[in-house]
Amino acid sequence: MLYRIALALLIAPIVFAQEKYIDWLTNYRQALTEAKASKKPVFLEFRCEA
Amino acid sequence: MEGRVFDAQVVLSPKDSPLGKVLSQYVCVRVVRMDDVDVGLFDRDWNNAIYFFVLNGDGQIYMRYGGRESQSPDTYNSLDSLRLALEQGLVLHQKYLQGSLPAQERPKPLFPREMPLLVERTFAQRQCVECHLIGDFQNIQRERDGVLDKLSQLYRSPDIKTIGILLDVPKGLVVKEVTGPVAAAGMKPRDRIAAWNGTPVWTFGDVQYRYDKVDRHATSLTITVDRSGQSVDLKVDLPPRWWWTDLRFRQSSVDPRLDFEDRPLTADEKQKLGLKPDSLASQVKYVSDMAKVRNTHDLRVGDVIVSVDGVEHDEFANTAELYLKLHTKAGESAKLEVIRDGKRMTMPIQTYVLSFRK
Repeated sequence: MLYRIALALLIAPIVFAQEKYIDWLTNYRQALTEAKASKKPVFLEFRCEA
Repeated sequence: MEGRVFDAQVVLSPKDSPLGKVLSQYVCVRVVRMDDVDVGLFDRDWNNAIYFFVLNGDGQIYMRYGGRESQSPDTYNSLDSLRLALEQGLVLHQKYLQGSLPAQERPKPLFPREMPLLVERTFAQRQCVECHLIGDFQNIQRERDGVLDKLSQLYRSPDIKTIGILLDVPKGLVVKEVTGPVAAAGMKPRDRIAAWNGTPVWTFGDVQYRYDKVDRHATSLTITVDRSGQSVDLKVDLPPRWWWTDLRFRQSSVDPRLDFEDRPLTADEKQKLGLKPDSLASQVKYVSDMAKVRNTHDLRVGDVIVSVDGVEHDEFANTAELYLKLHTKAGESAKLEVIRDGKRMTMPIQTYVLSFRK
């Protein structure tokens, strides 16, 4: 029982963070596929990090 | 790093924030490697370290977001204007789903692996294909092939401030102040720019991209504004060198390096020196310490450059510096005619190429 509570406390911030922020894909082609399936538009960011 | 804060603000937008609520209606994708990107479709000024597109699943681009001015990469980035743009993107997408959005001609695909010089300098050396390298090596290849149009391909992204437009940035394309050519054409504060030479625009990124497509020989353009719900076409007379921007932030560009800067002489100064009013005569205002180290030239601050290779007038250049940028290739030399302390003299100048391209 204690183990489960500890595990829940450990995972909660990660789950919360995932739910709190926008999900970003990193693959352009996958984004197009998802956009067609969901009928959503695509918001594409090009970021040069070098 | 350019755009770091804005990038973080966008990517880490909480879903319940104003921007996050709009972003939740999109498939969001962040691409940090350009290796497999169709740079033909996503054509842009490659000297932007952060840039956005709104499009549909068929690859039809609705709008661009991003762009910069020479002085700063951040002037036109704003979470508020991005949210407005994305809201408009949803409207355009609905039209697309309903079949009422006009189709666009898709540009010819071009991938980084099809660009030999880029392959040589990046893929072959397992280096990252940085955004600016795409633009840099496109221009180097064009110059080698003798097809580089410096007016449009070196001097990319004309500055809207040159024609007098100051935007109310958080409000997107709403105009805050007008001066010069656009004021003379009748643009007013609170107008919203709606089209550029007939092409609808939604963001500063759209405006800058469309402005960049204007023929450098053009003497006027049409800006359509929305004024209290009324569409108004304004014919704007373009000033000389409306396309000129400071290239210094384009650190790896193809332009010849000169180790000096100058300013055009005034009409009075030209008259006193007996020079024609349309002469490209200029006064040296800065000489880099590297001029001596590299043995580039012997110019001094205050020198007046009267001609370059005997040329005193040019259709586009109003200074010797600009003439050299436009008409010489990095690495070539030229002869300057100079007035120093009232005496005329000639001296050579050896332009040079950035070391990374040697």
